[in-house]
Amino acid sequence: MKWPLRDGSADSVRSRNASAWLLPTGDVRTDHQAREDMRRFADSDEVDAVIVGAGAGGATMLQRLAHAGWRVVALDAGPFWDPDRDWVSDEAGSHQLYWTEPRVIAGDDPVPMGSNNSGRGVGGSMVHYAGYTPRFHPSDFTTHSRDGVGADWPLDYTELRPYYQAVEGELPVAGEDWPWGDPHTYPHSAHPVGGNGEVFQRGADKLGITTKVGPVAITNGRFGHRPHCIYRGFCLQGCKVNAKASPLITHVPDALAHGAEIRADCMVTSVEIDERTGRATGVRYVRGGVEHLQRAAHVVVAGYSIETPRLLLNSTSGRFPDGLCNDFDQVGRYLMVQGAPQTAGRFDDEVRMYKAPPPEVSTEEFYETDPTKPYRRGFSLQTVSPLPITWAEHVAGQGHWGGALREYMRDYVHWSCLGALCEFLPQADNRVTLADETDRHGLRVARFAYSQCDNDRRLVKAAQQVMEDILHAAGADEVITFQRYAHLVGGARMAARAEDGVVDRDCRAFAVPNLLITDGSVLPTQGSANPALTIMAVAARAADRLLARP
Amino acid sequence: MRGDGVTPGGRQPRFPGFDVLAQSGHWDQVTAGVVLSRLGPREPMRFFSPAEEAIARPLLDLLLDQRSEPRVPVLEMIDSRLAEGSTDGWRYEDLPEDGQAWRDTLTALDDDARDAHGSGFAGCSGDTRTALIQAVQDLGTEKWHGLPADRVWSLWTRYACTAFYAHPWAWNEIGFSGPAYPRGYKNAGVGRREPWEVADREDLDPVRDRS
Repeated sequence: MKWPLRDGSADSVRSRNASAWLLPTGDVRTDHQAREDMRRFADSDEVDAVIVGAGAGGATMLQRLAHAGWRVVALDAGPFWDPDRDWVSDEAGSHQLYWTEPRVIAGDDPVPMGSNNSGRGVGGSMVHYAGYTPRFHPSDFTTHSRDGVGADWPLDYTELRPYYQAVEGELPVAGEDWPWGDPHTYPHSAHPVGGNGEVFQRGADKLGITTKVGPVAITNGRFGHRPHCIYRGFCLQGCKVNAKASPLITHVPDALAHGAEIRADCMVTSVEIDERTGRATGVRYVRGGVEHLQRAAHVVVAGYSIETPRLLLNSTSGRFPDGLCNDFDQVGRYLMVQGAPQTAGRFDDEVRMYKAPPPEVSTEEFYETDPTKPYRRGFSLQTVSPLPITWAEHVAGQGHWGGALREYMRDYVHWSCLGALCEFLPQADNRVTLADETDRHGLRVARFAYSQCDNDRRLVKAAQQVMEDILHAAGADEVITFQRYAHLVGGARMAARAEDGVVDRDCRAFAVPNLLITDGSVLPTQGSANPALTIMAVAARAADRLLARP
Repeated sequence: MRGDGVTPGGRQPRFPGFDVLAQSGHWDQVTAGVVLSRLGPREPMRFFSPAEEAIARPLLDLLLDQRSEPRVPVLEMIDSRLAEGSTDGWRYEDLPEDGQAWRDTLTALDDDARDAHGSGFAGCSGDTRTALIQAVQDLGTEKWHGLPADRVWSLWTRYACTAFYAHPWAWNEIGFSGPAYPRGYKNAGVGRREPWEVADREDLDPVRDRS
């Protein structure tokens, strides 16, 4: 009997993306020979596409285009990581994983950057994301017509569904059958749950709130040459096991095998335009202090929500005096973060939340608009499990210092911690512009202004209340909440008309026909979902559309 | 490696006999190199001037309640970060970048001490220093020497906590098991421990038993 190949089955994945089978077996995590043998293009070669940024969006694009036979090179400002050599099981020692070039934050509610929301190097922010990979709900694509807030995408959920399924197979995603949004299943079964997940499940059960284990892009069982997760708890410091998915291991190996080049440690300084034709001709970049210009038939920008707008704004020309693709003053606008209050509860039992991956259990019960509530849209709740330094920030955030801080911290093993993702609404004035100060390349740095609206504040309050209720129901004798933000999307959004956005539904710039943007900055809304999976799915779809109509 | 479970200030441990460093033989080499270097000799002070050092040291001792040896060398760790520009990069629009913000706020704290007590911060008694620091925290979102007090407070505590809780002695104090690659954890779950982990003596619940 011949078994049909299901999308997400290992055989089906291998035929379209063999990355997991191209990684080395045994205790070494990087195929150094493959990197040594990697194809290398000359700057003067007109490659089919040059991609700026090798994170979730850029590396997915790279693999899809290379697999289809395109000659592609991805430039990344950071290193080509080797998990064995470069990553450690240590919070303070992981500082190099983050984008730490200067940036200015402003507005009524400025958003701190750094470790929480910015990546660097091949794999991008997915190197240090927790690993949650939920889909957006169908409603996220029509929030304006449905709820009168946010924006409608020029794309609907069903057009993205096959790409969600494909990427879930490639990561692969582990979790229980998912009842929310568009109900679906996952290729890997759910992981066992640690102390923090147990507490969440216990409290939610008592209140009649449904929780599910997952969805996490962490192998539960062998997948190709990737081993099973060992539950070491340092997902946010880069996975040394090759169990947690990032494009470094899920898409780059297959791209290299199909002749793609990764050019690391290259800071792209501008996209070049032919003033006569209005087409992009390549990108200017600095490597080792020397300026280069890589020629390309297509330019794909995937630098994420701060650096993508910054690159466009810094790429001025006669045709685009206010920045590339900025004819309608849309570049940098509608940038979103999620409100991410983190509520912890104290238990007499030891929880030791640092064991097992921080991403364990979620609920999307509060995701959709509830007409009885004084706010539109909603939030999701997840386990977060901070390690000591991040936990100290939570405790110090209560105002504790000195002896009180030390005593609270000594109690670490007794605490359980949940996080919310609140769907903050896209607003035109939440945006990236250029500050007057410059970085070491002489480029003007990004100024990111953020202010919350009333709906945002109401959501945070509601989410905090539910987390406190759950922890109390589970038996907590004290709860403490720390206000923070998570994730970035928007800043160069897709729209139906050039007046309302920067790219069309296929991620093509309205203003420059051979320029694409395929990262989180194209998302018009964000839901209450972690964005990585959606960024990859949107990029995979954009690749298909580009291949069909170069 | 001394396997005697050193804690900062030798504070009476809630996890008697727990020594995270006794497990360092099970850590991968790269991680062990990074963590164990925190126990070794420090670079000489490079960023802070002697005058700034005299203010920063008692400030950090108070923020982290480090009253006696052995101390986690928090000031030296912060000095290294600032000397190397190993910051998070971003800054609030109404604060200078981190290094300058440290210099400016240490000077401001010293000015407060001189204005109120006629001597610099270093020359004040412990109680006076505590009151001076508390006054900054109490300002909340108001301005302090032209800077938003809550963001100054966040700068101080963020750097202090990042240094202190990066140190294995602090992990001994809080019962944190530290790096776990390539071994991983086998006993996750409420009330479960690895064979080398030590149960909390549970003689103190900071919620119920706080005075």
